[in-house]
Amino acid sequence: MTTQAKPEETAAPGGSSSFLSVRDLSVRFRTEDGVVRAVDNLSFEVERGTTLGIVGESGSGKSVTNLAILGLHNPANSEITGSIKLAGQELVGAPNKELEKLRGHTMSMIFQDPLTALSPFHTIGAQIGETYRKHTGASKKEARDRSIEMLTKVGIPQPTTRVDDFPHQFSGGMRQRAMIAMSLVCDPALVIADEPTTALDVTVQAQILDLLKELQQEMGTAIILITHDLGVVAKTAKDIMVMYAGRAVERGTVREVLKAPQHPYTWGLLSSMPNLTGPVGVPLRPVRGTPPSLINLPTGCPFNPRCDHLEQVIGGKCTTERPPLAPEAGHATACHLSSGQKQEIFIDQIQPRLG
Amino acid sequence: MLRFLVRRSLGALVILLIISMVTFALFFAIPADPARLSCGKVCTPENLALIRHSMQLDQPVPLQFWHWFSGIFTGRDFGGAGYCNAPCFGYSYVKQEMITNTLIDRFPTTLSLTVGSAVIFLIFGIGTGMLAANKQGKPADKIASSASLIASSLQIYVAGPLALWALVYSTNWLQLPAYVPITQDPIGWFTGLLVPWLVLSLIWTANYTRMTRSSMVEQLSEDYVRTARAKGMSGRSVFLRYAWRGAMGTIVTVFGIDLGVLLGGAIITENTFGLQGLGQLSIDSIRQSDLSMMVGVTMVAATLIVVSNIVVDAAYALIDPRIRLA
Amino acid sequence: MNARKSRRLAAAVMVVGALTVTTACSSAHSGGAGAGTDESKVAATTVAVGTAADSTGPAIAPAGAKKGGTVNMIDRDDFSHLDPAQVYLNTNSEVSLLFTRGLTGYKTLPDGSTKLVGDLATDSGTTTDGGKTWKFTLKDGVKWQDGTAITSADVKYSIERTFAPFIKSGPTYIQSWLTGSPDKYREAYPGPYSGQDLPSVQTPDAKTVIYKFTDVHPDANFTFAMTGYGIVPKAQDTKDQYDKKPFSSGPYEIVSHVTDKSLDLERNPNWDASTDPIRNAYPDKWHMEFGVQIDQSTQRFMADNGSDKDAFSFHETVAPSFVDQVKADPKLKSRTLNGLTPFTDYYFINNTRIKDPKVREALIRAFPHQQTRQLQGGTSYGDFATTYMSPLTLGYEASDVFDTLKSPAGDPVAAKKLLTDANALGTTIVYAYNNTPIQQSVTEAIRVALEKAGFKFVAKPLDAKTYYDAIALLNNPYDLYWGGWGADWPTGYTSLQPVWDGAAMADGASNYAHFNDPAVSKEMADAVKIADPVAQGKAWAAIDKELQQKAVSIPDVYQRSMSLYGSGLGGVTFDSLQGLQSPLNIFVK
Repeated sequence: MTTQAKPEETAAPGGSSSFLSVRDLSVRFRTEDGVVRAVDNLSFEVERGTTLGIVGESGSGKSVTNLAILGLHNPANSEITGSIKLAGQELVGAPNKELEKLRGHTMSMIFQDPLTALSPFHTIGAQIGETYRKHTGASKKEARDRSIEMLTKVGIPQPTTRVDDFPHQFSGGMRQRAMIAMSLVCDPALVIADEPTTALDVTVQAQILDLLKELQQEMGTAIILITHDLGVVAKTAKDIMVMYAGRAVERGTVREVLKAPQHPYTWGLLSSMPNLTGPVGVPLRPVRGTPPSLINLPTGCPFNPRCDHLEQVIGGKCTTERPPLAPEAGHATACHLSSGQKQEIFIDQIQPRLG
Repeated sequence: MLRFLVRRSLGALVILLIISMVTFALFFAIPADPARLSCGKVCTPENLALIRHSMQLDQPVPLQFWHWFSGIFTGRDFGGAGYCNAPCFGYSYVKQEMITNTLIDRFPTTLSLTVGSAVIFLIFGIGTGMLAANKQGKPADKIASSASLIASSLQIYVAGPLALWALVYSTNWLQLPAYVPITQDPIGWFTGLLVPWLVLSLIWTANYTRMTRSSMVEQLSEDYVRTARAKGMSGRSVFLRYAWRGAMGTIVTVFGIDLGVLLGGAIITENTFGLQGLGQLSIDSIRQSDLSMMVGVTMVAATLIVVSNIVVDAAYALIDPRIRLA
Repeated sequence: MNARKSRRLAAAVMVVGALTVTTACSSAHSGGAGAGTDESKVAATTVAVGTAADSTGPAIAPAGAKKGGTVNMIDRDDFSHLDPAQVYLNTNSEVSLLFTRGLTGYKTLPDGSTKLVGDLATDSGTTTDGGKTWKFTLKDGVKWQDGTAITSADVKYSIERTFAPFIKSGPTYIQSWLTGSPDKYREAYPGPYSGQDLPSVQTPDAKTVIYKFTDVHPDANFTFAMTGYGIVPKAQDTKDQYDKKPFSSGPYEIVSHVTDKSLDLERNPNWDASTDPIRNAYPDKWHMEFGVQIDQSTQRFMADNGSDKDAFSFHETVAPSFVDQVKADPKLKSRTLNGLTPFTDYYFINNTRIKDPKVREALIRAFPHQQTRQLQGGTSYGDFATTYMSPLTLGYEASDVFDTLKSPAGDPVAAKKLLTDANALGTTIVYAYNNTPIQQSVTEAIRVALEKAGFKFVAKPLDAKTYYDAIALLNNPYDLYWGGWGADWPTGYTSLQPVWDGAAMADGASNYAHFNDPAVSKEMADAVKIADPVAQGKAWAAIDKELQQKAVSIPDVYQRSMSLYGSGLGGVTFDSLQGLQSPLNIFVK
C-alpha cells in the first residue's frame, strides 16, 4: 500500500515552469532487515528539451528515483511520499490506470541492459508496435509501419526485415537502438535513460549518445540521463545532479559542477575517472571506503566516513549534523565546508590531479 | 526443425537400443526361472527342459536378445502360439499373449487416465498457480500455497483408498473405477475414470500450482516484464503476454517429462483403482516373473519418455525463439 | 506386506509346487452351507467314496435357491489356464467347475461332508484288481455345448492330449501310471497329434473307458476328479489356443474372455441337470472381473453397493487390515465365510543336519506357535497344527504327541531339559527365512524362544523368489525353515508321500526335511496299495503318528481363509478342497 503524504501545497520556487518537478521525494522499502531509505527528501526539476544527468554510485538512489517517477515500485513493499509533477499532473498516488496511460506515452524509459530488458519471446517489431498500439489505438499494420519508421530513425539497417527479428538476433548496440526506438515510439515528452550505454563498447556508446541528442533536438524531449560516468554527462547534459545515499549532494549546470565541483564526493568521482587530457603518471584515486547501508545511515553527513576533509569543518558538525543542499537555486552542494574552503581545496588539491 | 527431428530420432533409437540391451541383461540376472513358473506342481526335468526349450531359455542370452531384437522388425514365429507380426516384442508364456497385442490392449487405459487427469491438473494447477502469483503475499496466495503443499505431500496410496471410500464405497456418489473404451461408451468412459482422474490430478494439480506460482513469480521480477510495465502495458497483458510466456517454457518442459512418465504407466494409481493399464501390467509381470512382458513394458515406457523428451525440446523451441534446433 | 500375502507371494513365485496353490481334493466343507462359522477347531469330516445312486443328478438344492440373474465375481488375477490339461492352480480349478466336467467329482452333502461321486461316469469308478485296472461307464444324456454326445472316445482323447508337449503345467499322475514312466512318459507316448494311439486306455464301446495302469493305484478315482483330467473334444481342440476358450461340457459356456479384464459365462443349453450330481446352476450369467486388489475387494464387499451386492470372490480373502472390523460387525458376519484350506504350514527341520531326535523334539517343544501366528494374522491365519496330515484328509486322526496345544507359546523348560539330557545344550540352529518384513519379525520371535530353550540361533535371510529352490537342495546349509503343503486330493498319498517319503528325496523335490527312514517309506508304499478307503485312511493316520513320534519336523498351522460376499447372494459356500469360495450353489436372492 502506498502511504501517500499530502503533496506539498507550496509550489517550489521556479518549479511551476518546469516540465518535471520532483519535490521532497522519499522512497522507502520495507525489508526483513529494516526500512531502506532509498531516496530521502529529493527535489529537482527538468525543463523541456533539456537533459538532466544524475550521477552517483550504485545504490545512491538514481534508479529508484526514476522508477518512482514511472510508478513502477511495488506498492506492497514500498512507501513513496512527496510530489512528482509531470506537466502539472501529480503522479504520486495517481491511480494505476492513469499511470499506464502516461507510461510509454508521455514518459518512457530506456533500460540499462537491453538483452534482459527486451522480451526474448517477442519480435522487436511487436515490442515497439505494441506500445504504439496501446497508446494510439493504431492498427497492427500502422503499428508495424511505425516500428519500421522508428527503427529507421534510430539507424537500424534494413529495418523492414529486422523488424521481425528477435532481440537475440541483434547486436548489443542495435538492441539498445531498438530499445530507444521503443521508448520514443509515442514521442514522449520525458525520457528516462537508465545507464543506456553501460553495457556497450565505447564507439557504440558515443553513437547512442549522439542519437539521443539528435532525437532530443528533433522532438524537444526532456531527458533524465542516469549514469555513474561523468564523461557521458559532460557530453550530453545541461544540468547535473550528484546523488549520494538517496540524497542530492551537488547540483548545478554541467559546466558548474564539472569545472568547479564543490562537494568532496564529486571530487572523488572526478578523481577516480580516467581523463585523456590529464597528466600521465598520476594514479587514479577511487573514493575510499564503500557506500553506506541505507538501512543504517551514519549520523550527520552520510559521506563523513569516506570524507578526507572532516577535520576542516569547525565543531565536528560532519558527524552530528546533516548538511542541507544549499543554496536553493543554482549551483548547490550539501557540505559543511565553507564555500571558501571548497574553492581552496579544489584548486590546491583536486584540480592538479584532474589536469 | 526437420534436421533436428531426424537427428534426435536417430539418437533416440541408439538410446533405446542401449536401454533394451541393459533391460535384457538385467532381467536375465533375476534369480527366478520363468520356465519353472510355467511348470506344474510335479515338475519333471523333462517338462522343465521342454518349457525351457519352447521359451528359448536354453539359448545364450545374446542370441535371445538378437531374436527379440530382430523380431521387432521382421516378426517371429512362436510355433503353436502362432506368428507374431512386426513390430513383435515377443510372446508372454504367462499370459499366453503376444506382447505387442497386450501392450496395444493396455495402452488406451493408461492414455485415458493420463490425458484426462492431465487436462484437469493443467487447468487447475496452472490456474491456481497464476492466481497465487497474481495475489502474491495476499490471503488467496497463502491459502492456495498451503493447500497445494498439503495436497502434494499426499500419496496416491493414501488419497486413492480415501477417495474410493468417501466417493464410492460409503456414499455411492461416483461410479466404481473401470475402463470402458471411449469409442464404445463415452459416458461410461468418463464416469468410470472420474475418481482416478480426480485423485491423480489432485496431487499433480498441487505440484503444478507450486511450479506455476514460483515460475510466474520469478518471471514477474524479470527485467523485460518491468520494461513492459514501463511501456504502459496493462497488468493483465504484462501477466499473460509476458510473464506467462516466460513461465510457459518451464511448465511445458516439466509437463512433457511428466506426461512421458505417466504414459509409461501410473503404477500406483492403476493398482489402487484396479485399472488394467501399462502400470498394472508392469507390476503383474514382475510379480509373475514374466520376463518378456517386463522387457516389453520397459521398452514402451522408455520410448515414451525418450519421445516426450524430443517433443519437449521441439515445443521449447516454439516457445522460446532463442532456442535454435539443429 | 502382511503375513498371508507374503506367504501367498512366496507361494505364487515358488515353482515346482505352487505347493500351497495346488488343486486338491477335499473332504469337508468346513464353512459348509451355513455361513459365518466360528473359528473353533474344526472336527475332521469324512470324505467317502459314493455309490452309483450318489452319482445321479440333479445336485442337492440349498434352501431358498432360485434360478436367474447375473452373479459377479471379483478377483485380483485372471485365470492363468482354462485348458483342463493345464490346470493345477486352485482358482483355475474352481472356475472350471462351471464348464469342464470329468469322470469323477466331489458332491457336498447337507451335513458338510463330501463324497467322491461319478460326474460324467455313472459311479466313482470300479476296479477289480486292487487299483491296477479302472473302469468307468459314461452316463446317458451327457453332451457338449454344441449338443453332440460325450463319448468314451472323447474321454480317451482328453487323456492322450495331456502327453502333448504344449501341456506343461497340469498334473502328471495318470500319464506316469499309464506308461510306468514318471519322468519320461512323453517318450513312451508323444500325444495324439502324430496319429498314435495310447493302448493303455481302452474304449470297448461308446460308453465305457478302461484304464490299465502298470501298478496298483487304489485312489486313482480321486485323481480323475482333478480338473487336470477334465475332458476336451477332439473336434474343438485348438491345442495351444484352447487355453483361452475351452469348449464347455458343464452348465455354462464362455461367451467372452478378455485377458486380465473379464470372463463372461452364459448358460449352456445342452447341459442336463439330471446328469449332474455336483453342479447347481442357478444364475443365468456370470460376470468375472480381474485386477481388483485385496483392499479394494474387501471394501467393496463391506460397502455392498450396486452390482457388488451380487458379487463373490473365488480367491480374495478379507484384507488383514480389515479383519478386526469385519469380525466386529454383526451385519458382515452373516456374509462371511471362514474355513480351513487344504494348506498346512510346517517348520521343516533338516534331518540330515539335526540327527538327534531329542534335539528335534526340543525344537518342537520350544517353538513359539502362538507368537508366530499372531504376527501373521492371529486366529484368522489358521489353527495350530499338531499332525502332518491336514484334518481334511481321509483317515485323519487328531493327536498331539508333544503337547503343542497345551503350550502353544512354547515350553522352554521342557526343551532345555531335553537338550541337557542329550548333552546338546548350545546347539546352533541356522534358520533360513523369506526376507520380508513379516518374516523378519517372525524370525525374531523364533530367535527369542529358541535361545530361551538353550539353542544358539543364526538367521539367514533368503530371496523370496528363490526361497523354495534354496531349501529344496539336499545339501542346504540350514537347520530350520518354513514351508507349506497342500494335498492334490485328500488322501494320505498326496498329503504325506511327496513330503515325507525318503525314497522320493532329490534335489528340488518336496521332501524339504530330508527325512529318510526306509521303514516309513515301506509303510507308505504299502499304504498306497490298500484298496479299502477306510483301511487306507487308518494306515496313513498311523504313519502320521509315527512321523510325530520321530519328531521329524514342526507342524505349525492348518491355514484358514476368511472371505466376504455380497448380500444379494445365497448359497455361497466355502470349498475347503481348494480353499476358495465355491460357485456351485450360488444363487441371486
